Amino acid sequence: MKAYPAYWRPLAVFFCLLLVWAGTAFAATLEDKVIEHQLANGLRLLMVQRPQTPTFTAYITLGVGSVHERSDERGVAHLLEHMLFKGTETIGTTDFAKEKPLLDRIEEVGSRLDALRPRRDADPAEIAALEKELAALQQEHQQYVVKDEIARIYAEHGGVGYNAFTSRDLTTYLVSLPANKLELWAAVEADRMKNPVLREFFTEREVVLEERFRAYETNPRGLIFEQLFANAFTVHPYRNPIIGWRSDIENLTLAKTREFLQRYYGPINTVIALVGDIDPPAAIALVERYFSDIPPGSPVPPVTAVEPPQRGEKRIQVTFDAEPQLVMAFHKPTLPAHDDYVFDLIDLILGQGRTARLYRSLVLEKQLATSVQTFGAPGSRYPNLFVIAATPRHPHTTAEVEEAILAELERLAQEPVSAEELARAANRLRTDRLRFLRGNEGLARMLTFYQSVSGDWRYVLTYDDKIAALTAEDVMNTARAWLHPGNRTVVVLDKGTSQP
Amino acid sequence: MKSRLLLLSVMGLLLLWGCAAPQPPSLRDLSFAPLDFHVPEIERLTLGNGMRLYLQEDAELPLVEISVMVGAGSIGDPPALTGRTDLYAALLRSGGAGERTPDALDEALEKIAADFSVSADSHAVTLDLSLRAADLDAGLAILADVLRRPRFDPERLEIARRQALEGIRRQNDDPGQVARRALTRVLYGEHPLGRSATTKTVNAITREDLLAFHQEQVHPNNLWLGISGDFDRSRLESLLARHFGDWSAGDLRPQEIPALEPPVAPAIWVVPRALPQTTILFGEFGIDKDNPDQYAVRVMNFLLGGGGFNSRLMREVRSNRGLAYSVYSFYQVGRRLPGLFIAGSESRTAATSEVIALMRQIMAEMREAPVSEDELALARESLVNSFVFGFTDKHDVVTMTMRLDFYAYPPDYLRAYRENVSKVDVDAVHAAARRYLDPARQALILVGDTEALKAELEALGPVVKEFPLED
Repeated sequence: MKAYPAYWRPLAVFFCLLLVWAGTAFAATLEDKVIEHQLANGLRLLMVQRPQTPTFTAYITLGVGSVHERSDERGVAHLLEHMLFKGTETIGTTDFAKEKPLLDRIEEVGSRLDALRPRRDADPAEIAALEKELAALQQEHQQYVVKDEIARIYAEHGGVGYNAFTSRDLTTYLVSLPANKLELWAAVEADRMKNPVLREFFTEREVVLEERFRAYETNPRGLIFEQLFANAFTVHPYRNPIIGWRSDIENLTLAKTREFLQRYYGPINTVIALVGDIDPPAAIALVERYFSDIPPGSPVPPVTAVEPPQRGEKRIQVTFDAEPQLVMAFHKPTLPAHDDYVFDLIDLILGQGRTARLYRSLVLEKQLATSVQTFGAPGSRYPNLFVIAATPRHPHTTAEVEEAILAELERLAQEPVSAEELARAANRLRTDRLRFLRGNEGLARMLTFYQSVSGDWRYVLTYDDKIAALTAEDVMNTARAWLHPGNRTVVVLDKGTSQP
Repeated sequence: MKSRLLLLSVMGLLLLWGCAAPQPPSLRDLSFAPLDFHVPEIERLTLGNGMRLYLQEDAELPLVEISVMVGAGSIGDPPALTGRTDLYAALLRSGGAGERTPDALDEALEKIAADFSVSADSHAVTLDLSLRAADLDAGLAILADVLRRPRFDPERLEIARRQALEGIRRQNDDPGQVARRALTRVLYGEHPLGRSATTKTVNAITREDLLAFHQEQVHPNNLWLGISGDFDRSRLESLLARHFGDWSAGDLRPQEIPALEPPVAPAIWVVPRALPQTTILFGEFGIDKDNPDQYAVRVMNFLLGGGGFNSRLMREVRSNRGLAYSVYSFYQVGRRLPGLFIAGSESRTAATSEVIALMRQIMAEMREAPVSEDELALARESLVNSFVFGFTDKHDVVTMTMRLDFYAYPPDYLRAYRENVSKVDVDAVHAAARRYLDPARQALILVGDTEALKAELEALGPVVKEFPLED
């Protein structure tokens, strides 16, 4: 149930991992292993059999994330994800017919309260009265609530990892269960798609505010990346935090949340991955049986906002009670652009492992920093950023660290990388790809991600050839085209001039 | 391949027509085939020199995973050298080995796309190496060099030391990290489990200290080596013989495990920070692995704060009241000494004392009244039915087996686990709560705007003190 900050998905661990299969033999193996089926309503099912242990992992991925929100509903994709843990018309309630009128009254009073709170001329006594009424209604409502019943059902059947995550690009609901519980999963999840009830909304909105405090407002790393994305983009909604700004969350309504659900949560926008000890024909029959009567819904329309070219460097200082940190980002194209493939090589050459250029230069030779990371962010559906983050080593300053990073970027643009470095990067990609396939969850995540974001999971199968065709000159050209001062945003977090 | 997919799609449609008529059964009417699962057997061998081997072949992917445990950890660090074993681990990884300088070693590893890491905990140093199957010989050669012929390069020692010092400079940046360090320190005090490295202790560590640790502890008869993946059994044996066979056993002096100091008087420890949310951490001494009550404790903690949305803390603090995103409890099952019980949450400043009172009340209720049969059944079912997920990763099974042997768990620990959980009854849960859970003796750590909370905290008591942040 988390807003999934993009920096948790460094290129090396997720994105790049998927670039090249170890030899064409492996690509062929994977191509053979994935079994695909599409329901008449558009729902797509991807399956891989891994019978080694009698368990399976199920991912349900909706191709809608925070990037698709309008400006008056920022944070709603993530809040909705939370609300979908609250049950259905038959799960999580003792009697929905009796509960429904109370839910309506709670919404009515809560909405009046929300409308009143931001008004300067609001009467405090009226607010207090409404708050009291809402609390009483919520109290009364509890008699019909079977708390967190989906969690209970999955737990007693041995489920683990019952969770969900919202990113800018997509929203995923996941759980792993013992192999004999596939039908339980289908029954629960189909009910959740067909008959969700968004109960306990006003309480859950408070939970999301606490989540925001925890992940961003008390956490220097969360804070610096929030500021980086908010400043690097001027127009494109990738600038907005997944979870929403504080006032966004405070002003989200149940009506907006419900509307977002109705607008986007259809089978046509859904891909399911089942990986593990499953019998594919039986799984297909089961999914048909439980999910085929859901109306298809309408496709998620593409985001029309286009980030204009950056006209000069942006430089931001963030004050927080922590030791200094530095991040910088350069705009870049996303998949399937040629330069996106090149950036995956650049990411390895600059930032991954102990032989990478930035580690060698900043950590080992100059000893200006204790770590340097590179990754792509904050999403992959639309043009994104190449990010470099560094932890300076006292007494060295963020300015010294920045200068050393820029020297390596300059070198990348001026000198061809060696054949050995290129080969090493490609080899690393092939091998890490294999490692990624060691678990049910990794496979499920990979398949749903590429199916949802690139439109076809097979995207990964052609990656091998694309990467193999790249040259030292490609790296130089891409570095020159994008890694230049006018295209960068630099954020420094430190204690500022006036310490609290 | 395409034709196969097509065939399956057609089958799907046929099945759809075949099954369209009957409605899916109600969730509550579903029945399930029994799950066929047996704890897998890991092959155990001991070489002539005393090195223990744990093997699990798995040809799904052309990869091999290797883990080595050295049976000594930071519990043996002298107080003035706190941080020594962590620095040892960092330098073992980065300091070069055999004929290879540090740079050459990193290049050799990167050339074969190997992942190699070394880490230290209280009782062991662990090396993890991930290889392609074809590079097994090269990988084992590097591993043997690192274990038998480490160079402890002096320049790399200084780099590792400076990194450790920078880590200490930054240890107060994250409120969660501050709270965990404070709790450990308050409860374990000056015991090695309570101390953390300081600028002074890290600067006091010499290369000779690291060499001495290596010479005392890294002998084949103090190593546990686990290998899983795509290897040929007989070839592996000959490779292990080649790389480790001529290494003789050494004299071992097991690390002394100092006894714990008596528990400190309960108090509220505050770390003032201008933040909108307070990190809340309760703690007290818990149990160790030899404790026969551990299954009852596990069931009890599931219901208290370990079972996610099915636990009382989550239900009341988060789901019913919206006061926190995260709220939880757990018992660290100590290996050689009692571990800690920890319960934690984060909540906005204005709700902090409400959350503290609520968490204390929920813990007290666990002591005061027995849990219901319904709750008990849920906890037991969940723990028993999810047991299979401990075995989804082949290498995790190897390292788990290795650790269980290293810490001398009973030989049937895994096999008997589900039965032991199933035997826990309401009385056992109640007894476990009364014995191992007591808010009246817990330390409470708060990191946040504690100045604003001063009066409320005095009222909550017992005593409020400021935790000193050393550097």
